[in-house]
Amino acid sequence: MRWVGPTVVVAALLVPLIPAGGYQQYVVQVATFVLINAAAALAWDIQARTGQLSLAPAAFFGLGAYAYTMAALRGVPLPVAFLLGPLVAGAVSLGLGVVTLRLHGLYFAIATLAFAEVVKVIFKELPLDLTGGAVGLTAPPLLGGHQTGLYYLGLCVLLLVVAASLAIRHSRLHYAFTAIRQGELTARVLGVPVVRTKLLAFALSAALTGMVGAYATSRLFFVIPEDTFGIGLSVTALATAIFGGVYTTAGPVLGAIILRSLEEGLRLVLREGYLAVYGVILMLVILYLPGGLVSLWNRRSRDAAGGD
Amino acid sequence: MELFLQTLANALIQSGTYALASAGLALAVGVLHIVNFAHGEFLMVGAFVAYWLSVLAGIDPIASLVPAGAVMFAASGAIYHASIRRVLLAPELNALLLTFGIGITLQNLAILVFGATPRVVHTAYQLTVVTLGPVSVGVAPLVTLVVSVTLLAGMYAVLYRTGVGKSIRAVAQNRTGAHLVGLDVDRIYLLTFGIASALAAIAGSMVLVRIGASPHMGFGFVLKAFAIIVMAGLGNLTGVLWASLVLATAEAFVRTYVPGGGGAAEAVFFLLIFFTLVWRSWRTA
Repeated sequence: MRWVGPTVVVAALLVPLIPAGGYQQYVVQVATFVLINAAAALAWDIQARTGQLSLAPAAFFGLGAYAYTMAALRGVPLPVAFLLGPLVAGAVSLGLGVVTLRLHGLYFAIATLAFAEVVKVIFKELPLDLTGGAVGLTAPPLLGGHQTGLYYLGLCVLLLVVAASLAIRHSRLHYAFTAIRQGELTARVLGVPVVRTKLLAFALSAALTGMVGAYATSRLFFVIPEDTFGIGLSVTALATAIFGGVYTTAGPVLGAIILRSLEEGLRLVLREGYLAVYGVILMLVILYLPGGLVSLWNRRSRDAAGGD
Repeated sequence: MELFLQTLANALIQSGTYALASAGLALAVGVLHIVNFAHGEFLMVGAFVAYWLSVLAGIDPIASLVPAGAVMFAASGAIYHASIRRVLLAPELNALLLTFGIGITLQNLAILVFGATPRVVHTAYQLTVVTLGPVSVGVAPLVTLVVSVTLLAGMYAVLYRTGVGKSIRAVAQNRTGAHLVGLDVDRIYLLTFGIASALAAIAGSMVLVRIGASPHMGFGFVLKAFAIIVMAGLGNLTGVLWASLVLATAEAFVRTYVPGGGGAAEAVFFLLIFFTLVWRSWRTA
């Protein structure tokens, strides 16, 4: 099934050319949100492969977003500000990773959740002229806010995350990640450098999430603590990955295409409460399809792009 | 000194609600070994049951703790049969994600049905205040503290003084062993999950009296309940009491003594839990 990946990329390249009449802008906008969700979900999945359920994506997304915005507002050239996003998120994640190294399962999940909440409060309580407090800041758009240009930039961001995911899948790291997930002690005995590998996965995932945050901000034009650091981001990322299929490259991307389109469709019908669909899907998938959507595919052909 | 005592009184009342909300969660973790992320939404359901009973039938919200608990007890039985029992033997994260899904669904259904605006009830005694020396406390919060203490005492009595309690503790200790000596493990799980959920709903009606009800109220409480049970040590019911007291006190004192501490109080809660977890993990390793 080697043709699936390139076909999806070509289809994505053609999205802004769809003759949708008056809805052209809307289609591109929804497609951009799909890209953001897919990249965030895949970045989450990369570190989940080491068996740690992180609830901190919102923190790294927010750090990337704020790093970009605060730097750009102080006159740093926009491309440099954009690079600061992943750098800051990655650096912070290294610190968090070292500290939480010995926590497992639920304890790790709660610690990362607590971390995300603390970061949110810090950004809310810092002096107004620094972070804009609870109201947030207006972010300067990249590429002059050109919608189609930003869509293609988003595609580049997603492809970068996909490239990282595939690189891990086709290197020795894949086996190290999987071994750690299936039994940390066994992995250690087998000679896997557990500490280094877990930190690498955590920091890489955080840096990619930070990049997604910086990109999303350059597209949304604002940062605000309640949203930019909101737990919703972490929930969406992990629900999308689980729906599509965890520990694969195709799963989170597929999950994002379906879930985000569904969400936007529902948003037109219901103004609030449309997130219920995430809840129902999460329940159904855990109960009836623990391998996610791609497991349907893998059942038919064993050589699909990821799973183990 | 007056301010100090007043802060201490507020902390005590708050810790009563926290302990009640966390006890159910600790029970589910200790006995079923599942982490119920929907616990906060169960609390929200309880608050809304009490709210509508008060608005439509004029029933006092404190008296509504009985129907609120009963509704959630029955509903959790259905939830247990339809979903929870299927993931009991799966990896623990499956149960976590499943209940996460249940919680998100309940929260958004509540937004759909009731709207996102917070609701408050008005009772005759809400503005009445009791003064004890330098400290003055509202009657409503005081009643919620009394209810919490009574219920927690009742829970301990059931767990440690009755046959059912003994069965529950046996299943918590060793599922297979309990099964071998003839206990119906599935029924004990159902019962325990029901009690845990009913406790959440009752805590919800207490929160309604003191603060109000909104579809978003559950999440804040479940986070704090997690913080409390993790700090207490998973499944440790007695630990829940002192952890509630410590966290509520820390929160109350930051709120009172740190300038502009309203927002920072939230952070203190999570900072405490973060450092407790990390410190413990490095100490024991």
